Amino acid sequence: MLNWLRLSGRYLFEHLEAVFNVSFGDRYNPFYYLGSLAFFFFWIVAVSGLYLYAFFETSMLGAYSSIEYLTVDQWYLGGVFRSLHRYASDAMVITMGLHMLRELVMDRYRGVRWFSWFTGIPLIWLVYASGIGGYWLVWDQMAQYIAVMTSEWLDWLPIINEPMARNFINQASLSDRFFSLLAFLHIGIPLMLLLVMWIHIQRLSNPRTNPPRVLMVGSILAMLVLSLIKPAVSQAPANLDLSVSTIDIDWFYLFVYPLMEKTSAGTLWILASAISLFLALLPWMPPLLRKPAVVVNLDNCNGCERCYEDCPYSAITMEPRSDGLDFEKQAMVQDSMCISCGLCVGACPTATPFRRKTDLIPGIELPDHPLKALREAIIEQTATLEGDQRVLLMGCDYGVNLDKVALPGVVAIKLPCVAALPPSFLDFVISRKHADGVLLTGCHAGDCHERFGIEWLEQRLAGKRDPMLRKRVPRERIVTFWAGEEGGRKLLAEVSRFQQDLAVLGPYTPPQSDVRRRASGTEESA
Amino acid sequence: MSLIDWHEEYSVGIASVDHEHREMINLINAVYDNLSSNASKDQIEAFLGEIYTKISAHFALEEKIMKAKAYDEYEGHKEDHERLLDEIRDIMDFYETDDYFSDKDLADQLERWFSEHFRTRDARLHKHLG
Repeated sequence: MLNWLRLSGRYLFEHLEAVFNVSFGDRYNPFYYLGSLAFFFFWIVAVSGLYLYAFFETSMLGAYSSIEYLTVDQWYLGGVFRSLHRYASDAMVITMGLHMLRELVMDRYRGVRWFSWFTGIPLIWLVYASGIGGYWLVWDQMAQYIAVMTSEWLDWLPIINEPMARNFINQASLSDRFFSLLAFLHIGIPLMLLLVMWIHIQRLSNPRTNPPRVLMVGSILAMLVLSLIKPAVSQAPANLDLSVSTIDIDWFYLFVYPLMEKTSAGTLWILASAISLFLALLPWMPPLLRKPAVVVNLDNCNGCERCYEDCPYSAITMEPRSDGLDFEKQAMVQDSMCISCGLCVGACPTATPFRRKTDLIPGIELPDHPLKALREAIIEQTATLEGDQRVLLMGCDYGVNLDKVALPGVVAIKLPCVAALPPSFLDFVISRKHADGVLLTGCHAGDCHERFGIEWLEQRLAGKRDPMLRKRVPRERIVTFWAGEEGGRKLLAEVSRFQQDLAVLGPYTPPQSDVRRRASGTEESA
Repeated sequence: MSLIDWHEEYSVGIASVDHEHREMINLINAVYDNLSSNASKDQIEAFLGEIYTKISAHFALEEKIMKAKAYDEYEGHKEDHERLLDEIRDIMDFYETDDYFSDKDLADQLERWFSEHFRTRDARLHKHLG
């Protein structure tokens, strides 16, 4: 059931994102940056909030009029800040909600990823508490509605002795001190929110808390335009002597209140707690995701730190050497943090298929994807190919389903992630003529399931990250193609284009090299 | 007889780097011994693969140390590492595929390959970090 829901959700997202890919491209698609966009909106809310706070008066009469002053008299600055404050808050709720849904359907919430998922649940509560508090401060009719509903909701809990609702019986019962408390909460809760946001990303290495610049500029501009066209305004001032009848509400934040009106405070409590509990427990609902963590092989580890640098989940630490060899450090894996992506294997300098004297066991390895088996699979499967357009297709589980690719002159091998392939395997395949070209395929360019797989691989191929693909390997024989699960047809076109290129290139010849020139046989003629 | 001898002045003063340099010399000498005793081409190739693996790991460690100590000639030294890795791969491929590439060529190339970098780049590293 859960699986079916996840797959259909994923199908919907993939199609929706495909539309965005047309205009944004697959490196700047906002759907790939929902979490970092939520962070960005938080900062806009924080900065605009600081400005608003400078003018805000914490009293029953002053609250409304000070905000009216900002909105009407100082519309060009205070008004714009108020609108930004509001629209960025709405944007934060939207991006947060989509982010959660997307991580769920893309299956990035289970297994060792439970931590980010779990810490995301209190974030929802804190975002809502912050937003609702903000609307309350305006002290217009919507605020009055919030005040009455919220206190009714909180009063349902048996923990508060004196009913909070008593404050809102009539104008005389509300004190200015209550507004000081509200303002204090409206700063304190967002600070707590920030703290939990920080905890939320603790298990990631290089967490992306800033979206690409083009998305930041774009969303700020969009919100500025919206602020000028449709500024955020207050409703009529609150008056506790009159009861609020019909009002417009911000549905992003306040949808729970009409629900409570239709049911009861108790129902809302039960519903909110049950949903939160259900979400919090999701990572441990079957089917459980358990993949064996990578294992360090000390005989092949000299503590060079490359795996440590490339791990997307900070699962590797460098610890003092434990086997008495003359090395300072060794890699250590924290199993509970390892998502088994294999990016570390792709980074290990001892992970090279040219090893023959000792067994091909790299310094760090995935137990269920041994490199030795990969080398054998490459040799065996490519042996069936003929001609001079032989293509070895390699890809992950999150791209085009390679099982379905059946093309003449092509064999496909699956990897946990494309970056789990050490670049020297590419050198091996080409120079030992196991294939004429290698095509690597996987997720969408901006949306690697293992966070940095595509980025690291591209940098390694371009000689910008260790281990670099050797310069002697002809680049025109290595092609990358990022298209996610839906790119099947395009992949077929890409393969046939690649095969045509390979036919033009002809068979591989080793590079001209000083080594050859220096060799005694040719030195005389040179 | 060995192709390369370890001399104390080779020491760069970092235990791990010296340890791996000694390992590397032993490996190259082992290739040389095998060549002298007419070992099969296959055995020699297996040794070359081992040298490639060890030197890749060794350079990775040396680069990490240089970066950690903010060594001023890191860029040049790193470039030399990359060049040497390409070169050992060339040596491996030529030995495997080229009939004109004799055992003597292999020994000469290996000696040259190892010593050149050692005498220039690593000697400077020694002076600066040792």
